[in-house]
Amino acid sequence: MKKYALNDITLLQYIMINFGMAVSFGFIELPAMMATEAGTDGWIPILIGGFVTMFASLVVIRLMQRFPEGTFFDMLAHYLGKWAGKTAALAFALYFLLYAYDGLIYTIRLIKGRLLPETPAFLIALMLMLPTYTIARNGLRIVGRYAEFAVMISLWIPFVYLYTLENLHPLYLLPVFKEGWKPILSAVPGTFFYYLGFVSSVILYPFLKHKKHASAGLVIANGITVLSYLFITLVCYMFLSPDEAKLIHQPSIYVLKSIELSFIEQVEGLFIAFYAFIFSLSWIPPLYFTVFCTSWMMGKQEHRPHLRVIVILFAVSTYFYLPTYDELENISQLLGVSGIAVEYLFPGIMLVFLWIYVRLRKGRNWT
Amino acid sequence: MRITSWFGRKKYAHTSKPKPYVASPIAASEPISDQLEHNLLHLGQLFTDTPDLNIRHIPLRDTGELAALVYIEGLTDKNAINNNVINPLLHRADGSSLSSITVGRITKLRDWAPITSAILKGSSILFIDGQPDAFMLGTEGWPQRAIEDPQMETSLKGAHQGFVESIEQNIALIRRYLPHRELKIRNHQVGRRGDSRVGVMYLADVAHPEVLREMEERIDRIDIDVIINTGELVELIEDNPFSPFPQFMLTERPDTAASQVAQGRIVVLVDRSPSVIVGPSTFTSFFQSVDDYSTRWSIATFIRLLRFFAFFVAISLPAFYIAITSYHFELIPVKLLLTIGEYRGSVPFSPFIEAVFMEITLEMMREAGVRLPAPVGQTVGIVGGIVIGQAIVQAGLISNIMVIVVAFTAIASFILPNYDLVAGVRLIRFLMMIAASLFGLFGIVVSLMVLTGHLIALESLGTPFGSPFAPLRLSEWKDTFVRAPLWKMTKRPHSTRAVQSTRQGDNQPEGDGK
Repeated sequence: MKKYALNDITLLQYIMINFGMAVSFGFIELPAMMATEAGTDGWIPILIGGFVTMFASLVVIRLMQRFPEGTFFDMLAHYLGKWAGKTAALAFALYFLLYAYDGLIYTIRLIKGRLLPETPAFLIALMLMLPTYTIARNGLRIVGRYAEFAVMISLWIPFVYLYTLENLHPLYLLPVFKEGWKPILSAVPGTFFYYLGFVSSVILYPFLKHKKHASAGLVIANGITVLSYLFITLVCYMFLSPDEAKLIHQPSIYVLKSIELSFIEQVEGLFIAFYAFIFSLSWIPPLYFTVFCTSWMMGKQEHRPHLRVIVILFAVSTYFYLPTYDELENISQLLGVSGIAVEYLFPGIMLVFLWIYVRLRKGRNWT
Repeated sequence: MRITSWFGRKKYAHTSKPKPYVASPIAASEPISDQLEHNLLHLGQLFTDTPDLNIRHIPLRDTGELAALVYIEGLTDKNAINNNVINPLLHRADGSSLSSITVGRITKLRDWAPITSAILKGSSILFIDGQPDAFMLGTEGWPQRAIEDPQMETSLKGAHQGFVESIEQNIALIRRYLPHRELKIRNHQVGRRGDSRVGVMYLADVAHPEVLREMEERIDRIDIDVIINTGELVELIEDNPFSPFPQFMLTERPDTAASQVAQGRIVVLVDRSPSVIVGPSTFTSFFQSVDDYSTRWSIATFIRLLRFFAFFVAISLPAFYIAITSYHFELIPVKLLLTIGEYRGSVPFSPFIEAVFMEITLEMMREAGVRLPAPVGQTVGIVGGIVIGQAIVQAGLISNIMVIVVAFTAIASFILPNYDLVAGVRLIRFLMMIAASLFGLFGIVVSLMVLTGHLIALESLGTPFGSPFAPLRLSEWKDTFVRAPLWKMTKRPHSTRAVQSTRQGDNQPEGDGK
């Protein structure tokens, strides 16, 4: 019965996959976005959004506990038949594909914009596909180890921001609730996009070694995400004046401009390059999930052929078409909307639906 | 023509069955006769053109029967044969002739196959007229090197005995450290012609049986002509032969081998080879040296950190130089930039060409130093020091900074304790340089990503190579970046998959800290 035991992941890997998927480019984008929507109170919606996400992720775990030995698709196939499972797998494959594409294009755009303006985008994409394929082809366990490792070697990031400490002005944050609750609450849905990724539990759950800690794991992952978002927004808002914060593009990187070490003059170049480790978590795990879904759909064990196709498609597609920043915005919006549907609403609906369905079927059996 | 034959190779291998290695048309697996003449005749047919085969006819003193002693000169111990075999057979008459032979090992053999192989491996065979059995006498003795200080892994405080070319002695050297009943050795034969004895050594109550089985299966699967050295065996049993990193540690130190066995790992000894295989290995085990455990732990920790730092320097420093001087000069402070610019200004090459040129020169010098005999080897140093260091800068071919970078890289790669690891590092350095020249810092980071992706996916005997970093086990960092006090390492490393995980009791010395 334990179909997925061979590829099990530890709790820490589970946490890091979820954390990495969520945090990746939110760390760069969120401060500016919240500043335009809620001013210097922008950190409050992050907190609220985080709590909502925690609740939503617990719903996912609740859903998965109904069928602990299989993925969500196995569960659907078990309750509603093979085709229900396949449809769901296809839907999730598309969703994760979109997720990965968004993350990848964002990274390419950022690196092209800030580090390698002269290099053609498809070469950057090609380079990024090398580690992607190396890691994703070896299966979930390696993806988990990579997530763990990538987060571990990126632990220097918060410490770099400590250098900005002398330039921080806590007074910028005051007064709290400058304009009342309204802008804060209206900014909350916008944060959801940056918390997406926890629905991966529908696939990860059966692989988890200690399933009883799954909820705790997701809460921790979400907690670290909230903390890092809070950290970066607070640093940005205290560094930049309230008006600046709305104007400056990608303030997380801008803030680093103030740092000058004796051997490195501009930390941000190094930061962007090495932040690629965290960026990579926004597309490597989703890509793996995509091929997991498609190979599940086809009923195949081997996911590598699919991975090869997708990796090559990604690289080739950037040669012909690379979304501009505005188009990327549209893709992100699409991802945001489908993300809210897939991650926040769908698991709840499924939970209720399955609960009723099982009740009804049991009832039928009795008569 | 050549390309087509290259393509056809695989097909060819499938269609034609490998020919059995038959040494001579005379069947070797039949019993010997009870008549001496027949046996000697047959022996002559088996060993044609073997001038070093010696047959000594001996009339037995007690029964008057004829006997013949057959052995290969050079593979046998002359003293043992003369004094312990021939002399008593000729002169002593008390009891039967066999009991007068004074060698340690006497085995009865009946078939030609074991007899011929015993002769070829240095035993002598006694045929007696009228008896259907031959006797194998353990008289092996061949030219041997004395036990010396290990060449590759020198140590300051460790033992000064290194492995030699005989498996018996190597086993004895390890056994001296672990005189315990549970230290077991399983023999395997590898190589159809070479017929090397391969010993798999492990602690029966500690090593994981699955890992052991995996190792033995891999060794048994080998179908090869001959194995000359341990390195060949490693390449045949590795998990990923395409990786630039060694997945088994090779050591020529008995103390290292013994300590690894005690941790629950498996040691494979190959006859005629002075290094042994240790598996399953982890990436961090290539950063450990036997001296770490006998210096003070704080100092050992410092040295460990230095080694990991050196690893990254050795891999990426030239790449960083290329990336920064050709892409990201805004990263470095103005003063440093000016200094670099001053020297770089007169150099006609791009940083990449400069770096590749210097690195290749360095690699050539290193290779030259390894192969040349010691007195000539010193000239390499002089040539390198003067030509590469001074003249090349004065001629304006290479910038001063590049020379410093190369020297620093070389020193960094010298302090890594394992040769195989350094070899991998050297290769990766060039790949990183190419990536850096094409993509700057981004290229370096992507290569680091590929490298980590590769390292965490790598396995050694089915256990993760990246342990304890990926999969992360914080409690086992005691013997990685840091070298915790010995009394803190109460558990065996998880990566050895040891069955008995407790290694020691509470040994922390009494004192203020406790």
